[in-house]
Amino acid sequence: MDIAQLQAYGYFALTAVLVIILYSYIFHLYRAKKDADGVDYEKYGNMALNDDIDDAPVSPVSNDKEK
Amino acid sequence: MVKGPLEYDYTVAKMFMFTTVVLGIVGMLIGVILAFQLAFPQINLLLGEGLAEYTNFSRLRPLHTDAVIFGFTLSGVFATWYYVGQRVLKVSMAESPLLMFLGKLHFWLYVATVAAAVISLFAGITTSKEYAEFEWPIDIAIVILWVVWGIGMFGLIGIRREKSLYISVWYYIATFLGVAMLYLFNNMEVPTMFATSAAGESGIGDWYHSVSMYAGTNDALVQWWYGHNAVAFGFTVPIVAMIYYFLPKESGQAIYSYKLSLLSFWGLMFVYLWAGGHHLLYSTVPDWMQTMASIFSVILILPSWGSAINMLLTMKGEWQQVAASPLIKFMVLGSTFYMFSTLEGPIQAIKSVNAIAHFTDWIVGHVHDGVLGWVGFMIMAALFHMAPRVFKRELYSKSLMAVQFWIQTLGVVLYFTSMWIAGITQGMMWRAHDEFGNLAYSFIDTVTVLHPYYAIRGIGGLLYLTGFLMFAYNIYKTMTSRPVEEHELQNASPMGA
Amino acid sequence: MFHWLEKHPFFFAVGVFIVISFAGLIEILPSFAQASRPVIGTAPYSTLELAGRHVYISNSCNACHSQLVRPFKSETDRYGHYSLSGEYAYDRPFLWGSKRTGPDLMRVGNYRTTDWHENHMKDPQSVVPGSVMPAYRWLFTNSSDIETAFAEQLTVEKHFGVPYNKEIPLKDGTTKVVKIGQSVAEAKALALEEAKVIAADMKDQDVKDAVARGEIPEIVALIAYMNSLK
Repeated sequence: MDIAQLQAYGYFALTAVLVIILYSYIFHLYRAKKDADGVDYEKYGNMALNDDIDDAPVSPVSNDKEK
Repeated sequence: MVKGPLEYDYTVAKMFMFTTVVLGIVGMLIGVILAFQLAFPQINLLLGEGLAEYTNFSRLRPLHTDAVIFGFTLSGVFATWYYVGQRVLKVSMAESPLLMFLGKLHFWLYVATVAAAVISLFAGITTSKEYAEFEWPIDIAIVILWVVWGIGMFGLIGIRREKSLYISVWYYIATFLGVAMLYLFNNMEVPTMFATSAAGESGIGDWYHSVSMYAGTNDALVQWWYGHNAVAFGFTVPIVAMIYYFLPKESGQAIYSYKLSLLSFWGLMFVYLWAGGHHLLYSTVPDWMQTMASIFSVILILPSWGSAINMLLTMKGEWQQVAASPLIKFMVLGSTFYMFSTLEGPIQAIKSVNAIAHFTDWIVGHVHDGVLGWVGFMIMAALFHMAPRVFKRELYSKSLMAVQFWIQTLGVVLYFTSMWIAGITQGMMWRAHDEFGNLAYSFIDTVTVLHPYYAIRGIGGLLYLTGFLMFAYNIYKTMTSRPVEEHELQNASPMGA
Repeated sequence: MFHWLEKHPFFFAVGVFIVISFAGLIEILPSFAQASRPVIGTAPYSTLELAGRHVYISNSCNACHSQLVRPFKSETDRYGHYSLSGEYAYDRPFLWGSKRTGPDLMRVGNYRTTDWHENHMKDPQSVVPGSVMPAYRWLFTNSSDIETAFAEQLTVEKHFGVPYNKEIPLKDGTTKVVKIGQSVAEAKALALEEAKVIAADMKDQDVKDAVARGEIPEIVALIAYMNSLK
């Protein structure tokens, strides 16, 4: 097998792996819906809407500090 | 002194809003002059024969590009950062005297650097590299002001109340890092003042002169890796940061898909940097790099459209707002132009198309539908949204905004259509052969044929500048007209009739 | 997974940096391993030519003129042989340009003369009717900066090994030596010697007088540079 052929197989394998990783990540995001803190991803969109200084944060830096 | 309730502090944002407007006028005015100089060369003698050196096309051209990129756009980026940053992190700059000081220092360093850059470019002191024309003393000033901005940015992030960073903040961070990396590597140069002659003389010649660390093809490669990505991290990334905040906020609709924004962000970060080589197709850089750049340019459509579609879908079910609010009009047309120019760019990066398009006015047209239609519209929309909140007054005139919108849209359309025709005409004429295999046209034939398109382009630019002056007037009157009540509105900006 | 990053700004920034530097590492670094080597016939710039190159740069000639001939028949017919990487070995910075409002200048020295440039820079429309190029009359009165050019020669000789005072092979099998001055005075004398050759072919009496006095107007340096582009 010459180098060009190896490159071609390598290229195909790499593309396939990248596609699988990308789509499994998308699938993971939609499947899980929530992040590690239990907040629905889409709730984070509200950070732009409720952005007054006295609005409650979507996920506060420290739950103890914010009582 | 009685302390009121804690509020966001927009002092620095206001300062940068001011430079956005002023440098916008300067950059666009020079642009209009340049456009008409190409149509009517006598305008090169605008201020008479004596000052011809400072008013001719070639001397003004870097001033135009740099005033728009590093003046207008960067000011807009800083102004919105000092506004959006506080709000989505839910922390006020008033809470930290240090951050306040850094913000003001950032502004004054910026003003001083801009002044130095303008003077040096007028004097013809340039390294010739596009968008990196400044000599090393100004480069050092730019690095310092960039670091000051970065410390302020991460400082504000450090004292945030919101644990998670909003989408816009990702893009601001990327802007900071991307420009820092690109600018440093592209401006590697050796000052010539350290040279010593065989006779022992030193400090010979101009102290500010320098010579690039890279030669020929390598220099070109680094320059266009920079040049293309200066567009990425100056005209795309921070403007995307703006639209992710201002469109949802103004329309009152949360972003359509947070997950899609995640994918678009990391996709854009990874893909964009590869595409720089498409400025060097058919040049002497290695062929595999040209092909790679071409392929990645096409892939770039995906993350770009990911963001743009996310924006349009955010308006789902709320399209009546586009008709009702001129501010929403600006943003929706801006994201449409973003889709348009991120489709046009990859088309031009295809090798066979590039063979015709490269070196022609089509490229100029592409840059301008991006910058006038997307960057300009988005920054003006951002300032329109900020003004009522920053000055605690309703916007001076809604109808003036609507008129401005249509004048500028017409200007952009005239600009890019005329440049398309000009570019493709010239590209085809350069390569035309007659039946005997000789070149069909001499070079000057391909220049004189462009005259009407250059004139139309000038008119398009003039319309856009007119609209920008209306914008400046509207913001000025907003600052000076009667205050409305102290309580700020949740989303839609209050507007006068 | 990714969402963790957005709560940890430091690691987020590191992540962004890794992702954006990836392309540069793969695309740009390899080409530095093979730095451009000059092709036969490519010589370093003389003091006067380099001063002319500075005039070219400070007037942003590269805003409208490219110096890159692409490998197409229409371009080689119009401008000459397509560009080779090694021909740019001494170009710091490169001057390929990005827009041809005017024609390519990569090999302009092959088909334009001192006399042509003189007339053209003074009044482009008199030579090329319909041209949109502005006149550059101040080049006839401003003096060129030989000292800075000399400082640049010293810098590139020291740091980048540019072969001044060494034999350069030419295409016809002979060699030539590009001299560098030992002192500022000698550099100026070398430049003036070259300038006299250019001025002899020019008509403008003020320029001739200036060169006779030992001054070198910018136009002389610029023409020396353009004549060297072959």
